[in-house]
Amino acid sequence: MDKGLLYSGIGHFGLILWVTIGGFFIRHDDTMDLTVTEVSLVTSAEFEAMQAASPTAPAPQAPQTDVATPTPTLPAEAAPTPPPVEETPPPLTPPPPRPEPVPDAAPEVTETAPVPVPQAPEEPAPPSPVISDEPPILAPTSSTRPRPKPATRVAPVPTEAPAPDAVVDATPAPAVTPEAAPEAQVVEEEKPEAAPEEAGTELATEANKAEPLAPSSSSRPKPRPARRAEVAPVEAPETSGATRDAIAEAVAAAATSSSEASTSQATAPAGPPMTAGEKDGLRVAVQACWNVGSLSSEALRVTVTVAVDLGQDGKPDVGSLTMTEYEGGSDGAARQAFEAARRAVIRCGANGFKLPPEKYEEWRSLELVFNPERMRIK
Amino acid sequence: MTQRSPFGLILALLMIFGAGFAAPTVAQTGPLRIEITEGVIEPLPFAVPNFVAENGAAGEFAADIARVIASDLSGTGLFREIPASAHISRVDSFDAPVAYADWKAINAQALVTGAVSASGDRIVVKFRLFDIFSGQQMGEGLQFVGTPQSWRRMAHKVADAVYSRITGEGGYFDSRVVFVSESGPKNERAKRLAVMDYDGANVQFLTDSSSIVLAPRFSPTGDRILYTSYQSGFPKIYLMDVASVQARALGDQPGTMTFAPRFAPNGRTVVFSLEQGGNSDLYTIDTESGALGRMTNAPSIETAPDYSPDGSSIVFESDRSGTQQIYVMGAGGGEPRRISNGPGRYSTPVWSPRGDLIAFTKQHQGRFHIGVMRTDGSEERLLTASFLDEGPTWAPNGRVVMFSRETAGAAGQSSLYSVDISGRNLRPVASQGAASDPSWSPLLP
Repeated sequence: MDKGLLYSGIGHFGLILWVTIGGFFIRHDDTMDLTVTEVSLVTSAEFEAMQAASPTAPAPQAPQTDVATPTPTLPAEAAPTPPPVEETPPPLTPPPPRPEPVPDAAPEVTETAPVPVPQAPEEPAPPSPVISDEPPILAPTSSTRPRPKPATRVAPVPTEAPAPDAVVDATPAPAVTPEAAPEAQVVEEEKPEAAPEEAGTELATEANKAEPLAPSSSSRPKPRPARRAEVAPVEAPETSGATRDAIAEAVAAAATSSSEASTSQATAPAGPPMTAGEKDGLRVAVQACWNVGSLSSEALRVTVTVAVDLGQDGKPDVGSLTMTEYEGGSDGAARQAFEAARRAVIRCGANGFKLPPEKYEEWRSLELVFNPERMRIK
Repeated sequence: MTQRSPFGLILALLMIFGAGFAAPTVAQTGPLRIEITEGVIEPLPFAVPNFVAENGAAGEFAADIARVIASDLSGTGLFREIPASAHISRVDSFDAPVAYADWKAINAQALVTGAVSASGDRIVVKFRLFDIFSGQQMGEGLQFVGTPQSWRRMAHKVADAVYSRITGEGGYFDSRVVFVSESGPKNERAKRLAVMDYDGANVQFLTDSSSIVLAPRFSPTGDRILYTSYQSGFPKIYLMDVASVQARALGDQPGTMTFAPRFAPNGRTVVFSLEQGGNSDLYTIDTESGALGRMTNAPSIETAPDYSPDGSSIVFESDRSGTQQIYVMGAGGGEPRRISNGPGRYSTPVWSPRGDLIAFTKQHQGRFHIGVMRTDGSEERLLTASFLDEGPTWAPNGRVVMFSRETAGAAGQSSLYSVDISGRNLRPVASQGAASDPSWSPLLP
């Protein structure tokens, strides 16, 4: 074929192809802004009528001025302003005779320390106060959040030992042993009773039975092809003594390294590192159970770091939970903060944290830093 | 103009993506470290099964003690009781092992078990506290010995111990409140001093209603009460011994009126307001020697003083700037420093037992508030708002504030309320009838 004809043909073919489907690959900007103006058709008669009417069209009205409205007088303060009682003690001119401060019932708040002192004879429980119809008013929303106290202070002294009246049992109560895990009982899942055969209005007989769709017979599978004959082992070429030693060392080294690895990684898959999303998932799971509502304000200033080991099922090893460090408070406050953190890990990890099993090596040991800075009294 | 080759761009993209995929292959060293900064604030679920009655005589106390403990803890707003109807396992013996699985199943995070035995005029209450999810006991078991009449105090002591072990701060359940009990119409209201347990039980009256009494205040040891009475026709300060209910006038200066007394932390010195010739200033008096000392000397009204817990400073209210504001000055004298700077009027400042906050009454835009602020006046936080709230007093642990709230109208009356310093858990305090001017005692011995 003539080269010129060939080149011409290819060129024309390409041109046709481009014209035909080129637009498919080239993005056209079809989103041009079009300004659409609504028009209405008027007849020439109507137009002339409008022209004729225009000189006499009424002038646009001036904007109406606002009518002055009476300024509402501010209501007087409804709330009373009772002065502090201490400030305005109304002197009473006729001093009455001083009454004897005879109480109706003598209080028996005694200070005999060791034992809780006996109170007055049992009185009926006082009735609840009469609560007004006024709905309870909660604290205003404009309250500012507290911030940590700038200076350290002495930790509140817990009432560890009872006052002298609290007698610690001479015979310490035996430690309660943890409850033995109950044996798992295999519970037979109840099988539902067989449903009774459905009843119909027609008697099912062979005559009115529908033609089965399945084939009436199936072809037998073909037998497996016979295995190939065993290949005769090829004799290894003779190697020198130095080579054999080197191989033996290499094998031994490989065996050693593999055995070391097997202790830690044989059953622990070491996948790629944890992604930020997976870490966030773990963070969200723990913080859902981190309840700081019952912590003291001092404990809410302590940041504790808790170390914990997880099993491959994502469940925390409770015995491995330890506080590795803390900052921002006393030992007692740190202990309270740690206990809240420990409860969070145990509670939310009871069913195992949702973590990628293939990355077990990455999350088998955790260091969780519980920082309550944002959780202080809100 | 030169055009860039698209291959260069593709190559660059491949390198970027390649680097992105290659980055995670950097091995992690050490344990995975995650910082948790957000938690939840909700009451901690706990369970208090009825205490075990170890003999027949203890049967009447076993359930009541458990109920008082549960009421104390639930009343703080920090704990939520799981009712007995939801309990799976029963505690029939004090030494029986705890069925942690059963308590976990109902999401109990703390469990209080206890037993009561009674013999003659003596009952013994013992308890243990368990952390259910940790599967261990929290602290040692304790037991209290007392008379059958003091069973409520023993229950409060158990609750204090539980509260302290879980929260890390002292309790306030075994304490009392002195207040002004009110009766009668608003324009002819009879007032008398009364004292009750912090939860409103065991109300006892200390004075009769023949004269008006105001502003009672407990001593640091809870054995004496200062108050202001009109029994002489003029307001005078009286000091009452709680055990004997005997009172005597304090600093009775002719031609003066004394009011708004407060004990110093040493329990011996009293600071108060003394009015003479239409001017009020702060004075101190030694309750034993009667020695009088003047602390302020200004033409304005100085009143409602209160000591800091360490006794080094005094907070009080004064109108020296034109309106009621709060000032702090050294206990030995010096120039007062104004700490309230917000809009409105501030009064009745009370220093927290912890020393870190000052509670006050604020009047602004026709409403009254109870609030707290730092001792330098910063971080003001209003806890309540109503027609009339006033007279705050601190719980012994500095976590709760009690105050009196009066309703509007001719039939309005005053009652006691308490609120956590976070502004949560606003609740009425039971008292027999109308009540005002509460003052919280320290923890009882």
